[in-house]
Amino acid sequence: MKRQSKINHKKNEELSQDNSSFPIEISHYLEDNINIIKKMLGNPSDLIIRELTLGNQRKKAAIIYINGLIDNQLVQNNVLKEILSNQTETKTDLLDYLYQKIIAITDISKVKTLDDVSFGILSGNTALYINETDTVLLMGTASGEHRSIEEPQSERLIRGPKAGFIEDINTNISLIRQDIKDPNLRFETHHIGRRSKQKIVVSFIAGIVNMNIVNEVNRRLKSIDTDYAFSSGEVEQWIQDSFLSPFPQIGDTERPDRAIQSLLKGKVVILLEGTPFVLIAPITLVETFHSLEDDNQRWLNGTSLRLLRYLTAFIAIFLPSLYIALVTYHPEMLPAKLIFSIAASREGVPFPAFVEVVIMAITFEILHEAGIRLPKIIGSTIGIVGGLVIGESAVSAGIVSPIMVIITALTAIASFTTPQYSMAISLRLLRFCFMIAAAVFGLYGVILVYIVINIHIVNLKSIGVPYSLPFAPLFIKDWKGLVIRSPLMMLMNRPNYLKVTDKRKRRQTK
Amino acid sequence: MNKLELSYEAIHDRDILIAIPSMAIAIGILYMPRKLAQPTIGLDAVLSILLGGIIIILFTWLTVRLASKFPGQSFITYASKLASKPVAIGITLLFVLHGIFITSFEIRAISNISHLYLFDKTPIEIISFVFLLAVVYAVSGSRAAIFRLNALFLPFIIVAIIALALLSFRFTEINNALPVFQTNLDGYFVTTYRSMLTISGFGVLGYLLFYVPLIKSPTQTSKASIIGVLWVIASHLIVLIITILVFGNIATSNLIFPVIELARDIELPGEFFNRFDSLFFAIWIMAIFNTSAMSFDVAVLALQSLFKKVTKLKIVFILSPIIYFISSLPKNSYETGLSGRVIGYLGLGLSIGVTLLLFLLRMIRGVK
Repeated sequence: MKRQSKINHKKNEELSQDNSSFPIEISHYLEDNINIIKKMLGNPSDLIIRELTLGNQRKKAAIIYINGLIDNQLVQNNVLKEILSNQTETKTDLLDYLYQKIIAITDISKVKTLDDVSFGILSGNTALYINETDTVLLMGTASGEHRSIEEPQSERLIRGPKAGFIEDINTNISLIRQDIKDPNLRFETHHIGRRSKQKIVVSFIAGIVNMNIVNEVNRRLKSIDTDYAFSSGEVEQWIQDSFLSPFPQIGDTERPDRAIQSLLKGKVVILLEGTPFVLIAPITLVETFHSLEDDNQRWLNGTSLRLLRYLTAFIAIFLPSLYIALVTYHPEMLPAKLIFSIAASREGVPFPAFVEVVIMAITFEILHEAGIRLPKIIGSTIGIVGGLVIGESAVSAGIVSPIMVIITALTAIASFTTPQYSMAISLRLLRFCFMIAAAVFGLYGVILVYIVINIHIVNLKSIGVPYSLPFAPLFIKDWKGLVIRSPLMMLMNRPNYLKVTDKRKRRQTK
Repeated sequence: MNKLELSYEAIHDRDILIAIPSMAIAIGILYMPRKLAQPTIGLDAVLSILLGGIIIILFTWLTVRLASKFPGQSFITYASKLASKPVAIGITLLFVLHGIFITSFEIRAISNISHLYLFDKTPIEIISFVFLLAVVYAVSGSRAAIFRLNALFLPFIIVAIIALALLSFRFTEINNALPVFQTNLDGYFVTTYRSMLTISGFGVLGYLLFYVPLIKSPTQTSKASIIGVLWVIASHLIVLIITILVFGNIATSNLIFPVIELARDIELPGEFFNRFDSLFFAIWIMAIFNTSAMSFDVAVLALQSLFKKVTKLKIVFILSPIIYFISSLPKNSYETGLSGRVIGYLGLGLSIGVTLLLFLLRMIRGVK
C-alpha cells in the first residue's frame, strides 16, 4: 500500500514535471480536446462544458470553465450571448473574427498549449475551443469570492487610514497603485507552488530602490520549491537569511500605508496571493519598533512615543532577569529600603527568585496563548482567570510575591507595545534566555547574553543588508529619521542606509 | 555576495577610528590611576599622559601611514617585500603570540575582577570559560561584524566614562590637585612609560598593521586613527583627573582598582540603583570584550595569512583551548597583573619596533 502510494507519488511528480517542461500542443479536434481536459481534471462536477455551433460554417465549438471561479454574468452576457447572436457569415478565420469583433472582454489571450489552458481554467479563466483550430481563446473572467476591505486587526493606529490588505492579490496591488501614481512603480510577477501556482508579486519603485536588493529578492523567490505557500510566513522562511535567528529578518504588514512608506524608503514589498500579510524587505532591528503613528503625529509626540517603545522593549527583555540577578546575587546594588520591601514581600514564598519568576512568566505565556486561541466570546474568561486566579490567589496562597506579580504584569504589557508581532514573540523568547543567564551568573550572565545577542545581530542580515543598521555600520545622518523622529524639515533626504538611488524625499518650497 | 552586501562588509576609515578606542580601552584604564599616582605628586601625571599620548599618536601615525600604503595586501605580503619572507613570518608569529596572550590576559583579568566585585562563590575557571565562549562566537562570525560590534559597544563605554566623571564631580576636592610640578624627573619618566603602555592598550595598537590594509581606499585613515587615539587619551585624562581629585594622590596609589572604587562611591539620583560600580563594571565588560575579540581576531587573521588553506573556524577552535589554558596559568591576581605588564611591554616593544623597522626599510628601499 505504502509502496503503491510512493509509486503514485512518483508518477504524479513525473506528470507535473512533464507538464512544465514539455508543453503538450492542443489537438486539432474538439472531441479530443474536451476529452483531454475532462481526463486531466478528473471530470469534476463543477467543470462546465457548453458546446455550441458557430455561424454558417457550422463549426463546432465549446466554452469551458469551472463553476464558482468565474463571473457568471460576464460569461453569459459578454461571451455566450454575443457569440450566439452574431451568427453572420464570415470568410476570414473564425477565431480571429470572434477575437476581434464579437467577444466583449478586454483581458483575452490566444494560447496554444494544454498547460496554459488548464492553468487558465483552474485560475478562473474561460476557454473557448473551436473544432479544427489549434488555438484556444482564454478569457479573463475570474471573479471568486473575497471579503471586503476592512480595518487591519493586527496593527491598529489611532490616526491613519482604516484600510487593510485582503486575501485577493489584485485588490492589494490596486491598493498600492491608488496611492503611488508613479510610472516607476514596478510589479514583477512570479508563480510559486508546484501545485498551487500562486501569484507572488515583487513590488518596488525603480529609481529609488537599490536594484541589488530587487535582484537578490527575485533570485531567492525563484529558489522556492514547494507545493503550496500557505501564507507569506512560509515565503518569509524560504527567503530569510538565517533560520537559526530568533529575530524576524523580513517585515510583514497588513497596512497598505506601511507598505507604501516602505516602498518610498527604497524597500521591496512582496505580495502573495491568498494572504493579507505582505512582506517588507529588507528590515533592520530598529525599524521593528517603528509605528506609523510616529509619522502621523507631530514630531515631538512621535519621538517621545518612539523612545517610549525602546524603553518598553528594554523592560520586556530585561526586567525579570534584572530582578533575578539583583535579588539573588547583588542585593547590595539596590537601596536598603527597596531591598527590605522586596524581602518583606517575599516572606513566606517557598521558591528562589528564579523559580518564582519562571512560574509567573510561563503562566503568563499560557494565558497569552490561550487568549489568542480562544473564541472571542469566551475570551473575557481569560481576563478573569488571569487577573483573579493568578494575580490574587497566587499571592494570597503564598506561591509568589506581590512584587513578582507587578514585574510580570509590567513585562507583559511592555512586550505588547512592539508594533511588529513577530518581533514581540522574539522578545518573549529572549527574555527566558536572560532569565536563565541571570539565575546562573547574575548580572555578569545578563551582560554576557546581551553581548552574545549583539554578536548575533551584527552578523545577521536581511536580504544582505546588515540588521544592525544604522548603528553599525554607522549612518549617523539617518538616525534623525530612524532612531528618533525629527521634524519634517530635517527629514528632507531619504534615509541612505539602504544606499538608495534617489536621495531627495521632500523639497522646501520657497 | 552581491555588490550591495560587499559594500556593507568593506572596512572604512571610520571603522578604524572606532576600533582604536575599542581596542585600547580595557583592563588597563581601571588601575591606570594607581600606577600613575604612585611615583607622582598631585595631578602631575596629567603631563605624563599628554607626553605618552603624543608619542603613541606619533607611532600610530607611522603605523597607519605604513600600512595604508599597501591596501588589499596582507601584513605578511608587504612585510615580506620590505624585510624578507622569514622575517615577515617571524613577526607575524610574534603578533599571533601577542594576540593570544592579550586575549588570555583580558579573559583572566575580567574573571578576577568579576570574582572580586560581582560574585565570589562562582569559580574563576567557569567565569572565564563563559567569557571565552562569547569571544569565540564573536570571532567565528565575519570580521566586519566585529567592527560593527565595536561601533555598538563604544557609545556605552563613552557614556560610562562621562557618567563616572559627572556623577563623582561633587566629591572632588581641588586641594587634591596640589602641589603642582613637584614630581622629580624620574617620576615623570616612569609614568610616561606607563601611560604609553596603557594608552597603546598593551601594544594592541600594533594590530593596525593588520587591519589598516583591509581598507580598500585609505584616504583619511591617518586622520581617523589620530582622532581615535585622541579619544583614548581623553578618556585616560578624564579618568585620571577625576580619580585623583576625589581620592587624592596617596589614596589612589593604594587602591587596587581606583576607578571601580570611584564608581562604588557614586549614588545614582532617584534612589533606584544604590551602587554605580556594578553597573559601571557591567558596561566595562563590553569594553574588555571588544579588546579580547579584536586581539583574538588578529591572531586568527595573522594565522590565516600564514596558512591559507586552513579554514577560519579550524584556527579559532585550535586557538581557544590554548587561550583558555594560558588564561588559567596565573595563580592569583598579582601574577595576572605581572603577566599583563610583561605582555604589555613586549607588545609595545614589538609594535613600535616593527613599525620603525618596516618604515625605515620602506624609506631606504622605496618599495611600493
